[in-house]
Amino acid sequence: MFQTDIFRTATFRLTLAFVVAIIAGVLLQFMLVYGQMTNYERARSTDFLKREAALLVQETPEELEDAVRDRTKTDLRVILNGAALFDLMHQPIVGDIHTWPEGLEVSPEAQRLWVVPRKDRPFEMRFMAVRVPDRDGHSDGRVLVLARSMHMADELRYITKRSALMSVIPIVLFALLAGIFLSHRALARVKEMREAIVRIMGGDLQERLPVGRERDDIERLASAVNRMLDRLEHLLDEIRDVGNDIAHDLRTPLARVRASLERVTGSEDVEHLNAVIQRATQDLDQCFSIITALLRIGELENGRRRAGFAMTDLTEVVAGIVDLYEPIAETQGIALHQDGLTSKALLYGDADLLSEVLANLVDNAIKFTPEGGEVGLRVERQADHKISVQVFDTGIGIPEQERGAVLGRFYRSDKSRHIPGSGLGLSLVSAILDLHGATLTIEAYQEGHHYPGSVFTLVFEAAAAENGMENGT
Amino acid sequence: MMSAESHEAVLRQSEPAIRLLLIEDDDSIAAEVVAELEARGYGVTRASTGLEGVDEAISRRYDLMVVDRMLPELDGLSVIERLRREQIMTPVLVLSALSAVDDRVNGLKAGGDDYLTKPFAMEELAARLEALLRRPTDSRETVLRVGPIEMDLIERKVFREGREVDLLPREFRLLEYMMRRPGAVLTRTMLLEDVWNYRFVPQTNLVDVHIGKLRRKIDVPGEAPLIQSIRGAGFSLRVPN
Repeated sequence: MFQTDIFRTATFRLTLAFVVAIIAGVLLQFMLVYGQMTNYERARSTDFLKREAALLVQETPEELEDAVRDRTKTDLRVILNGAALFDLMHQPIVGDIHTWPEGLEVSPEAQRLWVVPRKDRPFEMRFMAVRVPDRDGHSDGRVLVLARSMHMADELRYITKRSALMSVIPIVLFALLAGIFLSHRALARVKEMREAIVRIMGGDLQERLPVGRERDDIERLASAVNRMLDRLEHLLDEIRDVGNDIAHDLRTPLARVRASLERVTGSEDVEHLNAVIQRATQDLDQCFSIITALLRIGELENGRRRAGFAMTDLTEVVAGIVDLYEPIAETQGIALHQDGLTSKALLYGDADLLSEVLANLVDNAIKFTPEGGEVGLRVERQADHKISVQVFDTGIGIPEQERGAVLGRFYRSDKSRHIPGSGLGLSLVSAILDLHGATLTIEAYQEGHHYPGSVFTLVFEAAAAENGMENGT
Repeated sequence: MMSAESHEAVLRQSEPAIRLLLIEDDDSIAAEVVAELEARGYGVTRASTGLEGVDEAISRRYDLMVVDRMLPELDGLSVIERLRREQIMTPVLVLSALSAVDDRVNGLKAGGDDYLTKPFAMEELAARLEALLRRPTDSRETVLRVGPIEMDLIERKVFREGREVDLLPREFRLLEYMMRRPGAVLTRTMLLEDVWNYRFVPQTNLVDVHIGKLRRKIDVPGEAPLIQSIRGAGFSLRVPN
């Protein structure tokens, strides 16, 4: 992990972010301290100058000069402080400031000015210049000038800067270590999950992501992924079952074809050969019909087959199907009839696909209804602009627990194993109904009866145009 | 197979070879179709790409075309559109793979005349080509006659040698369709598509039941059977020689 793409790892990035954040914090703190300190020092030195000036100007003129002279003798003051008396023409009278600092004004406020002593580089000092009053409070013609160097402030700043710089290295080191530790801890679980995913991709579909007791974001994500995996596993099982069913349903006719072809190889009985060929063709056709049905279901479930959608009259569709199936119902001794609406029941859909739905349902109903029974179709208008079609029969019925399953692929009730069919009719029905946004419910037609029969109820949304004009083309 | 042979013989005798252009890129399917159709008396030319097909169709006159939906260079629908723009109105049958979406609708919209999905039975292809070739001109006649059968389209009545045959409306429609195509092989899917207007294949052999009902009314025992089953293909309304 640390050799190749360390710069791309989340650990590295998190650590880096952590370090940057800590350095930014330290920098901010330094700036705040620095600013505070500068302000404080300025206020302090101004205050000092003011108090000193106030004290000195109260002395008598002679004492003032002595006091100023005294000050200049004390050590350190030469560098740090200054005091002097000037006359109104800015000529020095006494004190250690020998020239009137350039730009200095007589004012009760402290001023920052640059001064150039004889040898040194210019340096900055804070000055204050006040008139010395006489007894009556008028100016006596002298100006008291006090100065304080800014050495204190500079020194404090220097110390602050230096200590900040010195502390950067240990702080960064600390941030780095803490960052590595924390991000590593956070990402260790991600790594575990990635490894679990690699195992799943490797084909171990029972594997799940580790989920502990902490209900944090990562764990919630992991348990969501686990639920998704459960669902996928279930779907895969279903697909595998369907695959097995398809294989089985295709194998039977193919095996028959193979066996009969093998049997007649070399035979010269043309009649017999023709019979075998015809049967083989029928068996192959059955295989094709299974494959065709599967492909069509796939196509329908992708929801793309909508080119045939138009205003469709359901009553007419039902009538067509009744017309198509009447002869076969009649030959099997079953009464096939249409009830309910006789007027138009318009909806937006594919007439061909809807016919196919009804054909499948009627086909099944006829297959599973004994002689003497009845099969009916009923179109009705429902509340909320809905149209329903019911296909009911007096056949063997579908046990309640099997009603959901019959719509799945290749489902065939044990009772109906002997009846031929692709086993895909009802899944085709539900795929087409899905495409139309219609619902399908299955109930018993006559509960408790020896032949309970079933009712398939299809509910469609009526076409919006139906409320207005009656042009159902 | 008897009937197919006699049918083939009829084609060979009575008509010059029908020229058919097959545009299909799959060699094995093309070989099958060519062999089958040549055996039935068609003169078949094959083109293996869309552009080649367009060139061929423009340079020579053909009676029929079979065009695959998916072709290299230029797909089948564009081929048809291009030919229709060139005012080449030769009837076209479109072939297509099963799962293609809404292909039938698009195929017919582009100017195809009929549509067949792969895999198909050769009998089905042959029957449909024949139907395209002899499209019944919507005659103004009000009475159709095939051998001993007479159909009055206005009175909605059918007679066989003077005996009135009582038909249900659906039986009448079915017989009318067959009488407009005497001698032609009509497959179950053709009947479902054209008489009932359904494009799905029902699980039960419905067409056989319908034909059976009609046959019982038309061909009464003792009379020569006119509605014949063509093994492996479908049905045909024929007057025995």
